[in-house]
Amino acid sequence: MFKRTFSTLLIILLISNYNSIANNLYDKQDWREEEGIYTRIYDAKIKLISGEQTSIHQLAAKKPLIVALVFTRCAGVCNPLLLQLKENIQIILRKNQYKFSVLVLSFDPLDSLKDMQNLAYRFNLLNEPNWELAVVDSISSMTKSVNFFPVWDMRKKQYDHDALLVGVNTQGYITKKLIGLRSADEISLLISDINNVYRPSYRLPTPANMFTCFNYDPKTGKNTPGWGLAFIALPALLTVGILAFLRLRGKYHS
Amino acid sequence: METKKLNKITALWIVAILVLFILSIILGIIMRLNQGELIKIQPPTFYADMTTHGVTMIGIWFVAGMAAVNYFMERYVKTSYTANMFAMVMTVIGVVMLWLSTLVGNFHAGWTFLYPLPFKIMWSTWATPLFLWSIGVFGIGWFVWTISLMAAMLKKYSMSQVLAWQHFGKKDPEVSTPPFVLISMISLIGVLTCLIAAVILLILLFAEYYSGGTFKNDALLIKNLTYFFGHTIANEMLYLGLAVIYELFPEVSGRPKLKTTWYVALAWNLTLFFVLAAFFHHLYMDFVQPEGLQIIGQLASYLASLPSSGVTVFSIIVVVFRNKINWSLTNSLFFIGIVGWVVGGVGAVIDATISNNFILHNTLWVPAHFHTYNAMGNVLFSLGFFHWFSKYATNHSLPDKYSFVKLAILIIGGVGFLLAFYIAGADSVPRRYSTYPKGLESAKTLAAVGGVFAIVYLTGILSFFVNISKRCLNVLFQRS
Repeated sequence: MFKRTFSTLLIILLISNYNSIANNLYDKQDWREEEGIYTRIYDAKIKLISGEQTSIHQLAAKKPLIVALVFTRCAGVCNPLLLQLKENIQIILRKNQYKFSVLVLSFDPLDSLKDMQNLAYRFNLLNEPNWELAVVDSISSMTKSVNFFPVWDMRKKQYDHDALLVGVNTQGYITKKLIGLRSADEISLLISDINNVYRPSYRLPTPANMFTCFNYDPKTGKNTPGWGLAFIALPALLTVGILAFLRLRGKYHS
Repeated sequence: METKKLNKITALWIVAILVLFILSIILGIIMRLNQGELIKIQPPTFYADMTTHGVTMIGIWFVAGMAAVNYFMERYVKTSYTANMFAMVMTVIGVVMLWLSTLVGNFHAGWTFLYPLPFKIMWSTWATPLFLWSIGVFGIGWFVWTISLMAAMLKKYSMSQVLAWQHFGKKDPEVSTPPFVLISMISLIGVLTCLIAAVILLILLFAEYYSGGTFKNDALLIKNLTYFFGHTIANEMLYLGLAVIYELFPEVSGRPKLKTTWYVALAWNLTLFFVLAAFFHHLYMDFVQPEGLQIIGQLASYLASLPSSGVTVFSIIVVVFRNKINWSLTNSLFFIGIVGWVVGGVGAVIDATISNNFILHNTLWVPAHFHTYNAMGNVLFSLGFFHWFSKYATNHSLPDKYSFVKLAILIIGGVGFLLAFYIAGADSVPRRYSTYPKGLESAKTLAAVGGVFAIVYLTGILSFFVNISKRCLNVLFQRS
């Protein structure tokens, strides 16, 4: 009797907490730009809308890649991501001399090559020389290699996912990622990065960083001194204290 | 401290240092021969060798300076045998831990173990904490030793006397601070400061390691602290050697003792303050570091090195110029060592100049200059002391056989080995490469040449080792 009641209660508890557990798991996924940097993107076989079959590494070997992950039935962030990316790329191409291609990949197994062709048509990308749209064979291996974990929402019949751009250099290494809708300047940095051009960048503060030397505010662009600087002065101050103590002790003993 | 006990522990330091020195040279030769493609080792082995070689060399030449300073300090104040022995025990434990972490655990983050490399584990997981604890064990032993020597001096001398401030205004002050006491104290203050920096550094690294990711360090802070510790200790160990030269060079040359003058006091006081800020020159390439600190780094590099080297060279010239000198192996080693220290110092100042650093940063110019003032500077200071001590403590008064040959082998080996570094550095060959890629053929050739000359240098060191260690073992095992 006790066992049955306990099991029933446990099942009710699990069901009622399913959403929060799922959300927690979702939150624990690595949705961070610095995750997986300098690892290689999975060399998945891809089929371009032109009909050409290749792989991600082969395509990257020709020109560094900005990989954008979308699905054609997307009612969320995919459209603004592609629209803004296209706009930004046009701005960047006017002043940036670096080589690159934008590879738009579908992460939805239901998407066909025809769907991707329609997507290209809708966004007027069919004749854009820097753009490639494709479907991929091994979706899960590819998305895992870039730490992209879309979650299927049964209710909305949509994937819940973030807007992600992955910069891949000619050796297939992920050198930079951008999460969210980003400015032309930031995409320009990504393009430099995949061309192996050094670009300085500031670390964004996290709660785990307690003793920083300087705190960079991305909103204002200002760098203010932090508590970490005190640690650099501390050895000299402690030495003065120890010397004073040793001298007083020496005086007392002598 | 009783003379017998002091002699025994000094002899023990000398034998231990020389054994570790020879082993570390062999690791260095293996690295250069690998770069020259005369032998083949795997990159992780190369970097584990590099880590072992770097930390061991810095450690042994620091304790060599400390042991010599402790020995002569007894002439002025009473020092602690317990602290000396404690440092010895901690150093031995530290070396065992270090070598286990690198040669067995394959830890290979370099002697600077620059953050976050120690936590990007590509070796046995236990090797990272063992390596960091080995540094901690060294630090505790050396900290106690440093404090005990400073306490001994501050019992006899006031703060202003030990730093020779009374020499600034008067030509003949009531209390004259011996140059040995002044330079030892200046060096020990620097040592204490950099050891405190090491303690803070290790606490922060351990905090991250044991927090399981809830605490993350600031890379800029850790790099500043790493070089505060690393650069400063590498400089202070040279100054400990110089303190010994001020004490011993005139003595073995048959000349009167050197005295502290206002310019000697001023130069060494400048060194005290500026050497603590010179480490900023290691961060020229860190764009986040404010420009002001970079400029301080350059100025401090000049102000810490030029006055002290100027007065030291001047003092040595005063001793030898138009004077009858009893040249022996000891003062010859000191004299050549001073030349090596100055040449290496010039190389260092060239690199510490911001406009030059854009070209020389992380090229073989860097190991070129620090090997010059170590292998042909500090090592010779200590060898001079070791040689003198081994003879003095065993009442060995016979002249040395083959002194000229030994010195010649050491100089030929050392100069050839260093030239290979300098030429490659001037040619922008990068440092810390296990193997050189295609297009850097000259780097391979120079590495092979450097490796061969390093073998010649090792032969010279072995010739010193045989006699010195034999006499030191006699001191160690003599009953009365």
